[in-house]
Amino acid sequence: MKMNRKLTWMLLAAMTTAFVQCKDSGEDLKPDDENELITSVTLKFIEQGTSNVSTFSYKDADGDGGNAPTKFDTIALKPNTTYTLAIELLDESKSPADDITKEVEEESDEHLFVYTPTPAALLTYTYGDKDKNNYPIGLTGSAKTGAAGDGKLKVQLRHQPGAKNGTPTPGSDDVNLDFILKVK
Amino acid sequence: MPAVRFSLLMLLLSLFSLVAIAQKPACECFVKGVVKDRHTGQPIVGATVLIVGQSNGVFTDENGRYELRNLCPGNYTLECRIIGYNPFQQKIDLTAGHEENFNLLEQEVHLKDVEITAHRTDAPSSQPLTTISGADLDKTRGQTLGESLKGVTGVTTLQTGSSIAKPVIHGLHSNRVLIMNNGIRQEGQQWGSEHAPELDPFIATRISVVKGAAGVRYGSDAIGGVILVEPEELPVDKPITGELNAVGFSNGRQGVLSGTVQGGLNFVKGFGWRAQGTIKRGGNIRTPNYFLDNTGISENNFSLAAGYRHKGLGIDVFYSRFDTQIGIFSGSHIGSVTDLLNVIKNGEPFVKSGFSYAINRPNQNATHELLKAETHYHFNDGNRIQWTIARQYNNRNEFDLHRPRNDSIAALNHPELTFKLTSLTNDVVWDHKPIAAKISGQVGVSTLYQYNLMSGRPLIPNFNQFNIGLFWIERYVTSKWELEAGLRYDYRTLKTYRIVNREKIADHFDFGNFSGTAGATRNFSERFSARVNLGTAWRAPNVSELFSDGVHHGAAAYEKGDATLQPEKALNSIASVKYVAPKWSVEVGGYYNYIFDFIYLKPQPEPILTIRGAFPYFKYTQTDASFKGIDVSGSWEFMKRTTVSSKLTYLRVYDERNDGYLVMIPPNRLDNALKYQLADRGKWKDGFISVGNLLVAEQKRVPANSDFLPPPKAYSLWSLQAGATLKVSEKQQLEIGINVQNVFNTVYRDYLNRFRYYADDMGRNASLRLKWKFGA
Repeated sequence: MKMNRKLTWMLLAAMTTAFVQCKDSGEDLKPDDENELITSVTLKFIEQGTSNVSTFSYKDADGDGGNAPTKFDTIALKPNTTYTLAIELLDESKSPADDITKEVEEESDEHLFVYTPTPAALLTYTYGDKDKNNYPIGLTGSAKTGAAGDGKLKVQLRHQPGAKNGTPTPGSDDVNLDFILKVK
Repeated sequence: MPAVRFSLLMLLLSLFSLVAIAQKPACECFVKGVVKDRHTGQPIVGATVLIVGQSNGVFTDENGRYELRNLCPGNYTLECRIIGYNPFQQKIDLTAGHEENFNLLEQEVHLKDVEITAHRTDAPSSQPLTTISGADLDKTRGQTLGESLKGVTGVTTLQTGSSIAKPVIHGLHSNRVLIMNNGIRQEGQQWGSEHAPELDPFIATRISVVKGAAGVRYGSDAIGGVILVEPEELPVDKPITGELNAVGFSNGRQGVLSGTVQGGLNFVKGFGWRAQGTIKRGGNIRTPNYFLDNTGISENNFSLAAGYRHKGLGIDVFYSRFDTQIGIFSGSHIGSVTDLLNVIKNGEPFVKSGFSYAINRPNQNATHELLKAETHYHFNDGNRIQWTIARQYNNRNEFDLHRPRNDSIAALNHPELTFKLTSLTNDVVWDHKPIAAKISGQVGVSTLYQYNLMSGRPLIPNFNQFNIGLFWIERYVTSKWELEAGLRYDYRTLKTYRIVNREKIADHFDFGNFSGTAGATRNFSERFSARVNLGTAWRAPNVSELFSDGVHHGAAAYEKGDATLQPEKALNSIASVKYVAPKWSVEVGGYYNYIFDFIYLKPQPEPILTIRGAFPYFKYTQTDASFKGIDVSGSWEFMKRTTVSSKLTYLRVYDERNDGYLVMIPPNRLDNALKYQLADRGKWKDGFISVGNLLVAEQKRVPANSDFLPPPKAYSLWSLQAGATLKVSEKQQLEIGINVQNVFNTVYRDYLNRFRYYADDMGRNASLRLKWKFGA
């Protein structure tokens, strides 16, 4: 019985040592700067033959969730006018903000911007750039408005690594925004 | 943590002697022997030994001895029952020939060693326990743990494609099903529906499912049930034996190789060891009409175990490492709801592919290490103490389909998500000596310390968690009745750390809860028994339910956590009756599981706007849910060698607070099989051919407008199996099995397969299985 008691105490003493390995997970927490986000999309319409520039943006500085988007502009354009359309993507969750446009440009053979107006007569988009495989990109192009009317302009960035064929079908959306479009 | 599983088997070493006296040839025989613990050689007090079909049974005395008198010569089945052990039966073959022999040799005592091994499980004896072992387990070899359990009534799977399967017990899964891996609660990122349990089923020689809430013995999370994965007892002082398993599957051209070698040491008495390893390689899975791109799998696992026994002392050390890389079907990657709707509209994936073993992005790799040490000591007076410590390290990396656009970051090839979870568990369990040879019980304390480190895309926070549980269970056993009751208290403290707008935010949570269990088993006769159990269990909300905030791309849903969630509490009642006749058997079980504050994702009326468009918005919310179900299984040998068996799994789930249904509840299913047992021929034994059919109904009880796609239609799948054992020599045998699943290459989709939006389920899959056992 004495032996048993000794053994029991030994066990209990050994048990207390089991918690020396406590580590705090809070110390290892740091923001991840390798993680890429797109937090803002800006469309720059330059009326051809003039220097009139109109910009329209979507901004959600902290990314998905958290705070709601701070900006989602209505696109207002003149009827029957031709514009040069440039698009700019930023990651403003980092400081300084990351220019995602540049990265899309560098990997243009994996990306395709798609501009889809509804109704279709509201705006006609023509690609103004091509990647090394001669497929359109959509960083710059021209947009010709039709007669006055209200509708939507869907702006998509299709990410198509290894599958880009000039159509929107392959890949998945990195951006998919429905801007309200007013032509008047 | 719970427990300490005592894999501890028991070996009933009974010498039984049959004495036939010439003058009174009939009914003067007796069987006697000793029941001993295999580890210690200590006698076991209070075990029931009985003859099946007769009403007389006896208990072992304080020396573990039993004696059954006044038996007539003939064929008997001897059964040994011990609390917390599975009953074990052994046939005693006393043929007429023997009888004559005894008559000739008057008064001679015929001695025969009968080795009976019964496994001890800590599961409540009044709760339904289904065990897969031996030939039944062999048939599932090469499959994942989830797949292996599909044959158990009441158990289904939650799948992400064909290579990721999580077990679902009575409609509950993930954090509501606890897996005990070799006595240690498996701690990984269970909250994720695409995170399959990281363990190698080849480690186990027995896999058991405890259905219903088992919170008292196993602690928090055991709301739906517990899965016990148990290896064989170490072969202390035994010669070297081993086995080699090879399985090949036609679908995915998958190969699995697993080997085990074990034995004792000649020069050290009381020592036993085992080494085991598995490798698995598979390529793209084929549905009836097309391949699924990037659905390969690769797995490398091994485990080592050693143990020492001396008198009452036992020490076991176990190490296992599981390492897997799983390709995720690239067609399941979507960026927006538009993408998802386009795939659904297309009816088949846009991404086409041929066969390949390559695993590209997206993929996940996970390693899980377990180091465990267990010590137990049997005191001479019958008390027993067991202490188990374990450290687990779960490292999960998930790679998205797209590399970062920035070349210098992409070159690093870092996973987009990394979870590193370390868990330390510590359990001390005291089994007190039997009181009046009828009452046994245990008291225990379990602790868990855990920390999680997360990097990459923010998904769940870093956290530290400490849990302590105290439990006490008592059991009263007679030959007719088994009664048990238990109580447990758990306390959990959780600290989380996350980054919001580049600021570190810490949160602190405390949870405490009582659980209880009470149950009874009544053995009306050797053939007929009934059991009823009332149990409670609880589960603290996990970090993903507290802090999720983002798009779940696999589900095209925006999921938001709620830091004010309270623990779920389950009250589970379960009852079953079982009748076993020589030619047929039937088991019917019913359950009613009421979960208070059941945590689920509630659809919100307004979608949420993100850069990828508007996503349906779900918030983690609590309700009261009821789970009512029936499990029926039966078999009937209606012709010589021909058996038909059926299993029915029926479940109805209702959201009691909101008067509606809940999503992702497995549909009802009926599994039928017809098996023909072949006669033994020469060295060929245990041959059989069987044909099976699985009918899965359409899940019609779903909330309206809750999904992009209604639940798939009902489906029916046919399977074929055949197998036999070749006795090569006394010490070597070869088992061969052939299995064809989805024989007719039926096109189907399953409601609980998360890829049902994107692609059909797996097509025909034929497999060949070889098992070579040596030294046995």
